[in-house]
Amino acid sequence: MKEFSLLRIGHFIRRDIALHKSTFVTGLLVGIVLIFLFSFFNMIWDKQLSQDEFFGTFGLIYIPMGVLFTFSIFKEFNDPKANQLYLSIPISIPERLASKWFTAAILYTLVYTILAIITGILALLFGVVVLTADFNISSLFSIEYWNVLKVYFLVQPFFLVGAISFRKNRIGKTLLFLGILALVFTLFNFLLFGIFNHNYGLFSGDAVISEAFDKTAADFSALGRWFYGLLLGPVMLIVAYFKMKEKEV
Amino acid sequence: MLTIKHLNFNYPKSRFVLKSINLDFTAGNIYGLFGKNGEGKSTLLKIMTGLLFPKNGNCLLEGNEMRKREVQSLHHIFLVPEDFELPAISIRSFEKVQSCFYPQFSKEQFYELIKEFQLSPTDVISKLSFGQKKKVLIAFGIATNTKLLLMDEPTNGLDIPSKSQFRKVMASIADENKCIVISTHQVRDLHSLINHVMILDNAQVAFDQPLDKVSDGLWFGKPSTNDSSEPIYSESSFGGKAILPRLDKNETEVDLELLFNGVLGAPDKINAILNQTQNDERV
Repeated sequence: MKEFSLLRIGHFIRRDIALHKSTFVTGLLVGIVLIFLFSFFNMIWDKQLSQDEFFGTFGLIYIPMGVLFTFSIFKEFNDPKANQLYLSIPISIPERLASKWFTAAILYTLVYTILAIITGILALLFGVVVLTADFNISSLFSIEYWNVLKVYFLVQPFFLVGAISFRKNRIGKTLLFLGILALVFTLFNFLLFGIFNHNYGLFSGDAVISEAFDKTAADFSALGRWFYGLLLGPVMLIVAYFKMKEKEV
Repeated sequence: MLTIKHLNFNYPKSRFVLKSINLDFTAGNIYGLFGKNGEGKSTLLKIMTGLLFPKNGNCLLEGNEMRKREVQSLHHIFLVPEDFELPAISIRSFEKVQSCFYPQFSKEQFYELIKEFQLSPTDVISKLSFGQKKKVLIAFGIATNTKLLLMDEPTNGLDIPSKSQFRKVMASIADENKCIVISTHQVRDLHSLINHVMILDNAQVAFDQPLDKVSDGLWFGKPSTNDSSEPIYSESSFGGKAILPRLDKNETEVDLELLFNGVLGAPDKINAILNQTQNDERV
């Protein structure tokens, strides 16, 4: 018997969509309305909606909404009344994880992007008519769009682990944990910087911490990107796998 | 089919709920799993489904560890929990999204049972009463046609006509390839349905016997004054009903409630008599 079947993953995605259809639709509608309003009001001052501005708004709604959706599709997992049925469904843990991640990351991004772009264009047309704004269509190939996606794909697995790990106040606890982790890593970076650079006198005189961090960023940016990229992305998915494997009702 | 060997279980920071449990569940039987409240019946069913992990020992379904929750094991098992929440979708949608995971699922059987339970496929599950939700889940569990069907207090929340309907349905689905385990503390609800009794007491298996062996070895009823044998267990509150060694008496129907109380009161005596009867039969 195969423990990884694309067919079962497909069935599980369909199940999640059917079960969370109303959450999904409501979230997307709220997102669309907010994008429309933000995009329109953005054109009032300078009569234009730049890619930077549009994808700034896009990310502001896309990331929190995606995090909420992630928590929503994992609700069954920690609900003592629902998880007995949920965990006894014949689907393996890698399939469970793959389908949840695909729904909350890939599928959500696809649907949200398409709707956001359409809404952005409508807002732009509205701005052209009402505010005589400039007409320029946002492109998916812009660096701003991919940066927003990058942030979401790195942060989402962390929230996925939070959604699996905590039974109550899941969002609050995950945010608290993320805050503590950020603080620990800031301190860790600062210590590393101090260890590697104290001989150069970077802490003496007028050298400020932000300047020190700028220099560290220049020196260790590639290493740091890999470290945090791996830590927040794939490593969190591995943590999620083991959390799911060890889960009892 | 499902074997439990030397199983121990306790919840964090609490006493053992199950101690040295050895059980064997085979196809073609309907097991009644009895025990007082908090004796570990639900826990045992959850361990059998792989939802809880034993502290020691094994729970194997056709040789596969249940704690691994492998697809090949979960394909053969369905649990109807005592307390559950179903999604807020129609019965038809529930069947569509959930049935695809069970290769032997029978749509016809499911909708027949839904009809029998006087429900409609268009009913939205969240708007149904708890008893009706239970009927949906029982119907679904039966229709999965898994080799092992576990039911935890299935009659809780069912009204009196539904309880007899449940018994009728369960009797109709029993076959030699299927093993059904029904856990309850309401022993009367399983009257004339089960063919094997298991009783948990003090975190251990106090009794594990097929009903035909019970009726071979024990006699249930009101003893007459000229009965030579001493009652193993008697109850004044039930009009003087008692359990006696059967010896040469006529076979009686097993009174599950009396047997349950008798096992809790005098487990050693009852087990000794049944073991003796079995030994005599072998000789």
